[in-house]
Amino acid sequence: MTATVAPFPDRAPQAGAPPGGTLSKASPPPGLAVAAPLPDVIPVRKHRGPVWTYVRRNPTIVVGGLLLLIVFLMAALAPWLGTVDPTALAPAKRTRMPSAQYWFGTDMLGRDVYSRVVYGARVSLLVGFSVAFLASIAGLAVGLVSGMVRWLDGIVMRVVDGMMSIPPILLAIALMALTRGSVQNVIVAITIAEIPRVARLVRGVVLSLREQPYVEAAVTTGTRMPAIIWRHILPNTLAPMTVQATYICASAMITEAILSFIGAGVPPSTPSWGNIMAEGRALWQVKFYIILFPAIFLSTTVLAVNLVGDGLRDALDPRMAKDV
Amino acid sequence: MLGYIGRRILATIPVMAVVGLFVFSLLYFAPGDPAAIIAGDQASPEDIIRIRATLGLDRPFLVRFGEWSWQIIHGDLGTSIFTNLPVTTMIGQRVQPTVSLMLVTLVFAIAVAVPLGVVAAWKAGTLIDRLVMGLAVMGFSVPVFVVGYILAYVFALELGWLPVQGYTPIEQGLWPWLSNLILPAVTLGLVYIALIARVTRATMLDVLSQDYVRTARAKGLSQGPVLFIHALKNAAVPIVTVIGIGIALLIGGAVVTETVFAIPGLGRLTVDAILRRDYPVIQGVVLLFSFVYVLVNLAIDLFYTVLDPRIRY
Repeated sequence: MTATVAPFPDRAPQAGAPPGGTLSKASPPPGLAVAAPLPDVIPVRKHRGPVWTYVRRNPTIVVGGLLLLIVFLMAALAPWLGTVDPTALAPAKRTRMPSAQYWFGTDMLGRDVYSRVVYGARVSLLVGFSVAFLASIAGLAVGLVSGMVRWLDGIVMRVVDGMMSIPPILLAIALMALTRGSVQNVIVAITIAEIPRVARLVRGVVLSLREQPYVEAAVTTGTRMPAIIWRHILPNTLAPMTVQATYICASAMITEAILSFIGAGVPPSTPSWGNIMAEGRALWQVKFYIILFPAIFLSTTVLAVNLVGDGLRDALDPRMAKDV
Repeated sequence: MLGYIGRRILATIPVMAVVGLFVFSLLYFAPGDPAAIIAGDQASPEDIIRIRATLGLDRPFLVRFGEWSWQIIHGDLGTSIFTNLPVTTMIGQRVQPTVSLMLVTLVFAIAVAVPLGVVAAWKAGTLIDRLVMGLAVMGFSVPVFVVGYILAYVFALELGWLPVQGYTPIEQGLWPWLSNLILPAVTLGLVYIALIARVTRATMLDVLSQDYVRTARAKGLSQGPVLFIHALKNAAVPIVTVIGIGIALLIGGAVVTETVFAIPGLGRLTVDAILRRDYPVIQGVVLLFSFVYVLVNLAIDLFYTVLDPRIRY
């Protein structure tokens, strides 16, 4: 046994070491690392089942998903969660501090803030998910047309550029100025403000897909456009679109709260997190809890959606996960 | 180069035309007939038609849009329905607080976000990195007014370190001006910091794997110069781009921040105009903000060659 044959001279048994392949326990020359001695028996890794593996690999999706599920349940089960009528006025019990009876206190009109916050989850979720869905569908249509129809591309993209140069919140505010405040109108206004971004994204994906050999092959073999779009283009836009949709959902929830907060959103009688905070605005220096509770719920919900989005992005686009 | 600048400037014209068309439609489709309002309750239908004709309201959409654009180009944004003042005057009175807020926020956010992003990239995968990126996700998730109220409650009401609300013009001294802007700037800057830090980290990760960074380290340069001179310089273009795009977040956030901190700026003007349905003012503000946004991004586009001399058009 000579040291010269060993691939790692520094790991080779020292002269005089007993032959037989056991690693030398003699101290290595100074400055050189030595591999840790291998244990005789490698411990068996505890097998914890597929669920645990999934959780360990995608902690953000799981945490976000669980939080979101709680908010969903809260919205669905609102009448059974110890709430009272969220619009019931009780002028005699105005601005009570949080207590056993009024968990989150009462607002200026004596309404139970806890009930309003629980019911407010409905508005936020409805707006967030409706906008994400509608903006994705509309943006997908615009992006596909723009990406596939060459002569329309220039026109559509100039319009999209123009729309995108109006800050989205301002665009939604301007649209809300045209109509009455209602949940429907808020959804439409935020959707219009979000469409350009989806359209841009889809167009980018479509343009890069068009150059793919399999798309060219499909064109060459005489596959018709609708079939190409349906079979080759659409499936590939789904992953980035899903990720984008979660971010739109999060930003739509924030925009709804902002619109309601400045008085251009859902009507004041409807309990929404933005509305509750708008009502707490006049009293925030003395009754901070009116703003605090809806703020915590809103932030947690948006965080949950963003976590799901980040997790989806990492799962669907591993290249992005490394970078961002 | 000159050709590129010329083309780039010309390219903003269609963009502004689309913005103009949108903003004009806003007034065109706004509920309420101006002629009927001017004519008053006693007017007969014929009177209203006559007034509509004298105001030119009966002409086709495109003719009116052309005329309106002509006025805008000449700096006439119309007259407020509510105060009867020219919209330009109303905007002029409110410009200083908003510009102050945005500048302070911009300086603060860049000063915080870029080093955070650089450190996160340098320590990629470690606890510091996770902490910074976690903060970034929080920054995206916590709405502006929530941050605003919590900061105001803690630092102004409870601790009393800074004024609670309001605005002091810069003419009355630097500290009174700045002290009123610190909390709003931190509030407004949070999303912006999250955005810039994320992009800085991503770009820096790319740059740090380049050969010249390895060379710089190999020749014995210490971390500081490697990160902030060799690497950051080469990561500048994407970072500056996102700073420009992020201005949109800043503008949207200013509307809310000014409401929370009772700052009499353009954001507050927008909110008041919405509540009063003062369409010419809404129009003017949207137009102005969009114009600024387009201009800033144009300037950044033209600035690329300075940042990175390798870019040639």
